[in-house]
Amino acid sequence: MAKKRFLIFPFMVVLFIFVMSAVSYGAAPGFDDKEIRIASWGPMTGPAAPWGTVNRGPAVICAIVNEEGGIHGRKLKHFARDDQYNPAQTKVVVKELVEKQGVFAFVAGTGSACGMAVKDYMAENKIIWVAPAISVKELISPVNPYIFALMPLYEDEASILTKYVVDKMKIKEIGVLYQNDAFGKAALDGIRQRLAKNNMKAVAEIPIEATDKDLSSYILKLKNSGAKAVMMWLTPSAAVIALKTAATVNYKPEWVASETLSDLGLMHRISGGLWEGVITGAFVLPPESQHPLMVKYRNASTKYTPEERQSLFYMAGNMFTEPLVDALKRAGKNLSTEAALKALNSTKNFQGIGPKVTWTSNQHQGTDSIQIWRCGPNGSTILLQDWTSNELATWKKK
Amino acid sequence: MFGQLIMEGLAIGICYALFGIAVVIIYKTSEVVNFAQGEMAMLSTFVAFQILTIYQWPFWMAFIGTMIFAVLLGIFIEFAFLRPAKDPSLLGLIVITLGAEMLLMGVAGWKWGAEQKEFSLPFSFSNTHELFKGVIINDWTIAVFITAAFLMIFLFLFFRYTKLGVAMRATQQNQHAARIMGIRVERVFSFAWGFSSMIGAIAAMFFAARSTVDPAFMMEPFLRAFAAAVLGGLMSIPGVVIGGAILGLLENMFGYFWPEWKPIVAFLVIIVVLCIRPSGLFAKHYVKKV
Repeated sequence: MAKKRFLIFPFMVVLFIFVMSAVSYGAAPGFDDKEIRIASWGPMTGPAAPWGTVNRGPAVICAIVNEEGGIHGRKLKHFARDDQYNPAQTKVVVKELVEKQGVFAFVAGTGSACGMAVKDYMAENKIIWVAPAISVKELISPVNPYIFALMPLYEDEASILTKYVVDKMKIKEIGVLYQNDAFGKAALDGIRQRLAKNNMKAVAEIPIEATDKDLSSYILKLKNSGAKAVMMWLTPSAAVIALKTAATVNYKPEWVASETLSDLGLMHRISGGLWEGVITGAFVLPPESQHPLMVKYRNASTKYTPEERQSLFYMAGNMFTEPLVDALKRAGKNLSTEAALKALNSTKNFQGIGPKVTWTSNQHQGTDSIQIWRCGPNGSTILLQDWTSNELATWKKK
Repeated sequence: MFGQLIMEGLAIGICYALFGIAVVIIYKTSEVVNFAQGEMAMLSTFVAFQILTIYQWPFWMAFIGTMIFAVLLGIFIEFAFLRPAKDPSLLGLIVITLGAEMLLMGVAGWKWGAEQKEFSLPFSFSNTHELFKGVIINDWTIAVFITAAFLMIFLFLFFRYTKLGVAMRATQQNQHAARIMGIRVERVFSFAWGFSSMIGAIAAMFFAARSTVDPAFMMEPFLRAFAAAVLGGLMSIPGVVIGGAILGLLENMFGYFWPEWKPIVAFLVIIVVLCIRPSGLFAKHYVKKV
């Protein structure tokens, strides 16, 4: 009996420490006098890992801010977590970041399903989420007071690209090759909307599965439909297969692709050069841009994260963090979630290395602007059209 | 257009069949469906990529190096993972191959990263020849056809006329009897895994040249190859080739006329064949005495 009592005491002590530590972590406001904690999640391993690089980009901006003295004396601390593109895992890492690390805000975050899995949890805990690296209408409609979207919606991007093809390139026969999921279908909506405005219809609309390794029947169907331009909302591998297959059957349309395929260096390399000439949308300046901010970020990346390839998506991670830093500066020394929300809601025409961003308390989709590029020799960028917005954007009409 | 559809369907179908042969060789010997087959082939393809792109060796040297690696990898997996299993059931062995699959994918991700890589063969998809009016064939397709034909003939002769081939068949039918007859069953298994891994690597290099290389690039071809093997018969090499061709043609026809249905054709085939003729269209159905 005495032995049992002897064991109960240390057990109670351990339990007390555990409970108290959990309580203190849970109550953490996300910042203190010395630091503000921000975090990102995304696939760092597994098949979707190339998209996860965007979530390591914010670390560069944090390093720059810290080198310049921080924000009102507070340093930025960035956490990046791997969720393996698995919504169940996203819940685990976000919960850990909120309750254990006590993060103040999230920035970027990849995967539509992953984001949808945690958006309510973040709102319940009053955690701000700036610039999700996803383009999902449900994030902005109805307005979620804690989510501030920056990435243009796929339907807006598709509409702008279609307008370019129809008006500037004077092509009337348009085929669509889209991934058979929310990503591809949103783009299809945008293409249809734009074509309908011009009293046109696509000559072929072909859904494909992301994992499909044989697209020959689809390419033959496109060729047979007479499509002179093919618009693609696909994974990088599927896009490469499409181009290679088209080459085998001597089919040479104008290829137009989504911003998710705008890492021209990568696409040129993995397609064996076939990507040259492809037109894409883009939501961030080219990584090789001489814009002063891009030069600054590249230099900082070389200094602080030399192991990273300065790819488009890595640099996009920098772009996603810019408006959060701007809002934190404007929120003042007396930081609170409310102060940060107020600053974010008054963001007007903020521009870093991406499009101009405006958020109001009634509208949390920050932009619908994209640039249009063509892939040049060796994966270089040829700017075809500067930042352009979509006058048909449905979310603007609300 | 119809002729081209058939050509493209046959090309991808024979490519599935090539990979299906790799699945069948292991199944023919041990009745184990090797779920790590795709990842073994993926790892070998990454080795080929490393030799070709990083070390910049000539293709044929890279090919030979990759074949040696593939054989050793197959033998290693069998020796290190399957052989130590104590009184293994078939299900247990299959679960071990699933574990090996995860492990190999992790190794590839760790060594080469998750980003896609370009892989090219000397048989280019963009070198095309017009067979008939409106029917184009490319070097890649010709290479696939020739490789499959050569392998099929070789394997037919091997399993029918060589001691090792007969020993492999005997091992599959009754391991104990084979042992009593003096067959070194463990060596037969090692050979089967090494040989299967080599054929899988050849097929994977064809797939890689058509798409890109990343740690997950062989997951989907494995499913299609498995469907081809089930359709033709998991015990029949000619059956797998015919099964692959039928699957490729079916998928292409569906892809052209009903694109929404194409992704599920392979799985429908598996279900229908398993319901109607469990041993496949061309394999003999062995009934074992209990």
